[in-house]
Amino acid sequence: MQRVLIVFGLLIALLGGVIWTDRPLPPADLTLIIRLDYNTLDPQRMSYNHDIRLAYAIYEPLVRWDNLDPDFTIVPAAAERWEVSDDYRTYTFHIRENATWSNGEPLTAHDYAYAWQRAVMPDTAADYATLFFHIEGAEDFFEWRTAQLEAYGDLPASERTREAAIALREEANAHFDATVGLEAVSDKVLRVTLERPTPFFLDLTCFAIYSPVHRDTVERFVSVNAATGALQQDHGWTKPPNVVTNGPYRVERWRFKREMRLSANPHYWSEEFPREETVSILPIVDQNTGVLAFETGLSQWHTDVTVDYIADMIEKKQRGEYPAIQPMQAFGTYFWSFNCRERFNDGRPNPFHDARVRRAFAMSVDKDSIATNIKRSGEEPADVFIPPGSIAGFESPRGLSFDPERARAELEAAGWIDRNGDGVPENAAGEPFPVIELLGSTGSYHDDVGLALGRKWEETLGVRTKVVMKETKVYRQDLKKKDFMMARGGWFGDFGDPVTFLDLHKTGDGNNDRGYSDPAFDEMLERAQRETDPAKRMEILAEAERYTMEETLPILPIWHYNWFYMYHPPTNDNGTPNPGGLRYMSSHQRLVQYIWQVEVVREDENGGAS
Amino acid sequence: MIGLIVRRLVQLPMILLVIYTITFVLAWSLPGSAVINDEGRQPPAAVLEAMEKQYNLDNPVLFYWEYLYGVTGLKWAAGAITNDPDAPSVVFDFGPSFRFEDWTVNELIGSSLPVSVALGLSAILIALSIGLFAGVVGAVKPNSLVDLATLAVALVGISLPSFVVGTVLLILFPVWMGVGQVGSWGRPQDMVLPALTLSLPFAAYIARLTRIGMIEALQSDYVRTARAKGVSMGTVVWKHALKNAFLPVLSYLGPAAAFAMTGSFVVETVFRVPGIGQHFVDAVRNKDLFVIMGVTLIFAGMLVIFNLIVDVMYRWVDPRIEQ
Repeated sequence: MQRVLIVFGLLIALLGGVIWTDRPLPPADLTLIIRLDYNTLDPQRMSYNHDIRLAYAIYEPLVRWDNLDPDFTIVPAAAERWEVSDDYRTYTFHIRENATWSNGEPLTAHDYAYAWQRAVMPDTAADYATLFFHIEGAEDFFEWRTAQLEAYGDLPASERTREAAIALREEANAHFDATVGLEAVSDKVLRVTLERPTPFFLDLTCFAIYSPVHRDTVERFVSVNAATGALQQDHGWTKPPNVVTNGPYRVERWRFKREMRLSANPHYWSEEFPREETVSILPIVDQNTGVLAFETGLSQWHTDVTVDYIADMIEKKQRGEYPAIQPMQAFGTYFWSFNCRERFNDGRPNPFHDARVRRAFAMSVDKDSIATNIKRSGEEPADVFIPPGSIAGFESPRGLSFDPERARAELEAAGWIDRNGDGVPENAAGEPFPVIELLGSTGSYHDDVGLALGRKWEETLGVRTKVVMKETKVYRQDLKKKDFMMARGGWFGDFGDPVTFLDLHKTGDGNNDRGYSDPAFDEMLERAQRETDPAKRMEILAEAERYTMEETLPILPIWHYNWFYMYHPPTNDNGTPNPGGLRYMSSHQRLVQYIWQVEVVREDENGGAS
Repeated sequence: MIGLIVRRLVQLPMILLVIYTITFVLAWSLPGSAVINDEGRQPPAAVLEAMEKQYNLDNPVLFYWEYLYGVTGLKWAAGAITNDPDAPSVVFDFGPSFRFEDWTVNELIGSSLPVSVALGLSAILIALSIGLFAGVVGAVKPNSLVDLATLAVALVGISLPSFVVGTVLLILFPVWMGVGQVGSWGRPQDMVLPALTLSLPFAAYIARLTRIGMIEALQSDYVRTARAKGVSMGTVVWKHALKNAFLPVLSYLGPAAAFAMTGSFVVETVFRVPGIGQHFVDAVRNKDLFVIMGVTLIFAGMLVIFNLIVDVMYRWVDPRIEQ
């Protein structure tokens, strides 16, 4: 038995050693809760919301939004000023003389040019590559490079050597410099020439994807793949101590699924920012644990609350009992997609190919009742795609509202009439309206919404439906193959222009899951692209939105998303400071929050807040 | 003893190869694509194609062999010999993660496995303490109130799912009593509640095993002889009976330790433990092929090795067992 005790003792000692060597850092000035750990710290490869928010803390684009201004105006960031040419095609940015990287090296125009070229290179596999195609020659370069790599891949293996791949890269760099309208005129001046006047280009340059990367650091982790000719990057550069940033914060420590620790960048040009010296960001996957962690004081800001009792929290808030839950209107819309193609994948004719049928379906839905009875968390019911009021100068159309009479008339006009009295409409050939499968992904409210929609359609139109929920991966695959009848969908805008939504309906767009293709609509977008007068351009885009939301309906909008934070308001009801509350949070629909701007209300403010 | 160890260690690679092959076939046949985003914006189609090509996602046979080449260390060895600058920097290269783009599977396992091992070890130690104590007490006075109480606790431990136990503990201690902190990880005290939650099913099983073994041992001739010679009950239990009653527990400890130390999805998510258990579930959900295979191989390897350790300990504790 003593032998067993020895083993016990050894194990306990080992355990103690492991625990002792793995101590956490002291609490930070500001602690955030996120739902999932970051996917990447490489700004050009980001596409998730929380990654992008982190990018604004550690990187700094040339310009930024004033997110506390209701008009969301654009103000200087790393660039202190910029000029736009008379034809609105050339932008010249002047970078601050005192802008530096976190390692003390000066920030240069070359860093931006390098970063933006990375985004355009197909090798980088940037989700947002197309956002750079507004730069002159960028799209052509993307295609040129893709073709160049393909041609290289077809060479016999003996010719695909390291030297050949390096030469290939040099050729691509030379081609980029010669054909793409991006030029570092000097160390501090960046000149960008656009394909055509793009009124939202400045807005794009505020976006995290347009952040710079520290060229020398990244290059240490880039190599060429002799077999494919493509550049490959080792992601080691995004981890401290390697990662070099130019934003208000630098990355102190990143431990996967444990903590992201930021500290003020000592080389940042502004004296005023960041307001908090250290920031700790904790990924908490379990939603319930996340809320409990906030409630018990682990964090001052829970950035993404999705618990299913959120409606109850909001109810409490309305009674004044739960001030910490903060519903924010977001820049996005929840919708259901119609498959718009002529036939389903199994060869059956698709009734939704007829826009009248789509309109009939849209007008049978009482979105107000769905939002208030199913989602129950204050979302605005949606009759249009672009959240009204979110884009300055854009006038939203009315869209189609709940109108069962007109819905039935539309369906009849499309030839679907209940001819044999069984309650289900038939077409002229006597074939009944197919049972509509409503495809969604598991683990959310989509099944409830699907059931409510189905009930409405059965009531109003006599159409039978079936709700089918699949795992996200399978659902996503079905969408990609256009193997669905109707499917849930959602979209968040990326930049402050209607095309961030409208591009979704463009023929052949990578995010056009519906297979919607309408030459009239494509023509409108093209016309808007050519239009140089901003006001006229907005009119064309408003017409495009009206056209798709009142006539052709590739999607059926249900509600405009709300996003839910938890944080304590900065002041109590009587106006006194509320210690632990947060100041300088933006409530603008675009929901851009700059972590470096946020301030925690302290205990000792104004000689001791109560 | 040496023969046993050598034999098992020779078997290990073959077992792992079989497990790898089965896992590969299952993971490959998961629906969906590993490289497309579940939500939001998709990269241009040309980019997706290039990515699938880069990771051999368009060619299962090539994928199978390339992965084997990297994970066995052969690629590293070949690179070291030919001085290839593209050679992997680690000997056993488990590949990249598709979902968490900045991390390799080696890094994921490297950061999460020690956490799970420490937590699993604590859980097993707690389980042994509770289980042995409850089992012995129950066996000394079978069908007494104490025995029934431990039986009830064991039943609860086995049948209550850990998300219930975990959530109840969280609400009871940090939320109501203010002891500990929800969502905190890294301080020694943060490990107590998750380790306790993780240990309960194991404790229950150990308690039942001990009780049965103990009752049997206490009825045996040598115990009766010892008692007749005037040896006290405590000494008999501790010195004679427990030794025999412990053997079934010991053989259960091998698989139990492997399971406890490769983490639990539920315990890890409820208590925000950055362990390896969540990768088993998340990787399948995300079709993160390299992660699926990495964690499965690690788990299989640990299972084999822990069973070996238990077998060795068996012989050490009880020298009568030779073959």
